[in-house]
Amino acid sequence: MRRVRGLGGGKRRLADLPEGTPAVVGLLAMRGPLRKRLLALGVRPGAVVKVIRRAPMGDPMEIAVGDTLIAIRHAEAEEVLLENPPGDD
Amino acid sequence: MTEQEPLTRNDALPQQGALVVMVGNPNTGKTTLINALAGSNLKVGNWPGTTVDRLAARLRLAGKEIELVDLPGTYGLIPTTPEEGLVARELLNNRPQTIINVVDAGNLERNLHLTLNLSEMGMPMLVALNLMDEAEAKGYSLDPQALERELGVPVAPLVASRDKGVTALLERLQQGVVPRPQVKYPPPIEKAVGELAQQIDHPSRRWLALALLSGEEVPLQLPEQVLQSAARLSKSLQDSGIDAYLEIENARFARAHELARAVITGSEKRLTLTDRIDKWVLHPLLGGPLFLLGMLLAFRFTFSFSSPWVDFIGALQEVLAGWVHAAHLPALLSSFLADGLIGGVGTVISFAPVLFFLYLALAFLETSGFLARAAFIADKFMLLAGLPGRAFIPLILGFGCNVPAVYSTRILNGRLDRLRVAMAVPFMTCSARLVVFTLFAAVFFPKQATWVVFGLYLLGMLIGLLTAWALGRAAGGGSSSGLMELPPYRMPTLRVVVKLAWARTRSFLQGAGGPILLAVLFVWMLLNLPPGASLQNSYYARAAELMQPLFATLGIHDWRLLGALIPGFVAKEVVVGTLAVSYLGSAPGAALGFVAGLAQIASALWQALLGSLDAIPALLGLPHMASAPAAGGDLRSALAGSLTQAGALSYLAFLLLYTPCVATLAAIKNEFGKFWAAFAMIYELLVAFGVAWGVYRLALLFGGG
Repeated sequence: MRRVRGLGGGKRRLADLPEGTPAVVGLLAMRGPLRKRLLALGVRPGAVVKVIRRAPMGDPMEIAVGDTLIAIRHAEAEEVLLENPPGDD
Repeated sequence: MTEQEPLTRNDALPQQGALVVMVGNPNTGKTTLINALAGSNLKVGNWPGTTVDRLAARLRLAGKEIELVDLPGTYGLIPTTPEEGLVARELLNNRPQTIINVVDAGNLERNLHLTLNLSEMGMPMLVALNLMDEAEAKGYSLDPQALERELGVPVAPLVASRDKGVTALLERLQQGVVPRPQVKYPPPIEKAVGELAQQIDHPSRRWLALALLSGEEVPLQLPEQVLQSAARLSKSLQDSGIDAYLEIENARFARAHELARAVITGSEKRLTLTDRIDKWVLHPLLGGPLFLLGMLLAFRFTFSFSSPWVDFIGALQEVLAGWVHAAHLPALLSSFLADGLIGGVGTVISFAPVLFFLYLALAFLETSGFLARAAFIADKFMLLAGLPGRAFIPLILGFGCNVPAVYSTRILNGRLDRLRVAMAVPFMTCSARLVVFTLFAAVFFPKQATWVVFGLYLLGMLIGLLTAWALGRAAGGGSSSGLMELPPYRMPTLRVVVKLAWARTRSFLQGAGGPILLAVLFVWMLLNLPPGASLQNSYYARAAELMQPLFATLGIHDWRLLGALIPGFVAKEVVVGTLAVSYLGSAPGAALGFVAGLAQIASALWQALLGSLDAIPALLGLPHMASAPAAGGDLRSALAGSLTQAGALSYLAFLLLYTPCVATLAAIKNEFGKFWAAFAMIYELLVAFGVAWGVYRLALLFGGG
């Protein structure tokens, strides 16, 4: 089934996104305060996200959404699903 | 859409006592702005019943006095932290005449999301478009007029840190109006909002209706019938397949995006200062060492700059005590004044410089943006105990002194995390305990002294982290979130930082001064009563003898060792001194003449000032472990016969872990209330006893006895 952009979300996770590659947020697969905080910081379906770097021990990671830099743990980024790149649907 | 208020001039201003509040995202320079607006009128304190900083000022506007208040920085009006919860609560229950919405010009889209929320509150507002210089450095060209047209409220471009545009903002304060309707929601939601809003008797009815339909709780007392209608309307939206929360958020984000696009007339991506600094500070290899170096600098700053002042207070105490002795009062009264009262007050006051410089260092780390980076680097390590990265700072500070470490838990988000770290802090070996450790290790383990001390450090850390972990488990919270913004690097506003540090130090003196003084006086009474009794016959010795049967199971029998644990409750530093007195007998304090005493005050102050200057180069040096205190050889040989090696180990373990000193307890009480102070005291006594027993048994097993 084809997914509609901005509503679905592919199988890729923000946690696995390589550094420097932009991607589009698909779905926030969590509930509660974490979801609210992500939305408040601008991490929402349809937003463009980029991994800037990972901390010296590999976790957490620094991401950029719009003009905001955000630190997010690997486990938290596993629940942020990304849109599949165009043409890959 | 919003039918309640027409777009007229705000006649409420100027009005005597009118309330103007500042609302904005964190890190938008609100503090700098209120400093620029208020100047020396700035008042710093806490929000009632919280430890959240409250900045306010009384200003004169067109001959009338107005009250300007800075609300805590928040990303939205629906809170995700207690600090953020304050904002909606204040806006709804303590209605301001005007809102100044502070917006980061370099991060428009996210900031405008809050602006849109505010626009639905039905309150007059204006926008302070701050940090225009940073927006320019990022490569943005902005059209503030466009934002003014779209929102229908005054928009004042600013660089608050350089006082640019601040006067213009003040002049336009009276023009604040209720914004033009901004967000258009899908028809079924608009219909439900309209129906619900009709039943709410509050000027912010539209925002309230939207929040209720999103399934949020609002910090306002609403009639039961309104809540029932909200539940019914939510249910019917849900039944027709509409996720109200998501639709409302999406509509707001879409409008924020649209607004940002209308205002940003040009953008060419440039590398910012923050990008360049982060390349080093968060470098995969250099990041760790740089982080440790930064922590070390902050740590040394606190203790290097405060120790001369602490010494000065100590010297002052001695001089005053000398005068008391010289006055030839009855012995008991003279001892009460010199040792009890002056000693107690001196103990309280000597914490003030430590706290003041610590708060300065922390505020600098926090507002400059470095603290968030330190937390980023340390996060993985702290995650082991289920703590956020920021917890690293109170724990490290705990090695210097537990009292400021407890206060520094304020840098954490959320009460649970603060409490967990505060309960772990007293297990960190502070420099006062180190003095006792080095003495005992030198006496009983001359060959392995370093390892014994090192082992005690590790033991304390381990138990502290376990405590934090277990408390998290007990609260069912599991591990906390590592999610946070990494704000741009900025220079803190010095005046505000100093005022905040002073306000917090003052609150310590007021809140913790009493308990510390009482504890000092209590110990003085034990030592000196009944009148005329020698130490062996004092209440102190009797109390120590009462403890003997219990502590025999730990291999500690000598009443003098047990007695020293009692004043150790006041401050661990005094354990060695008390031992010296009870083993060797006290030497009477030398009485000083008046003139000689005065000279000593002057020279001590001079020393303190010089020491502060000396500290600057010393900051860059590497830390060195305090060398063994100048405890006389007499005490060493007297102690040597009093314990076996196994007994010494268990005594040290007990000393490490038992009840934090009274100042730490007072700090916990100040920050978390009486219950948690009592909990800390009892919990730590039990842990100390249990672990000391285990250490003693193990030592016996391995033949240390």
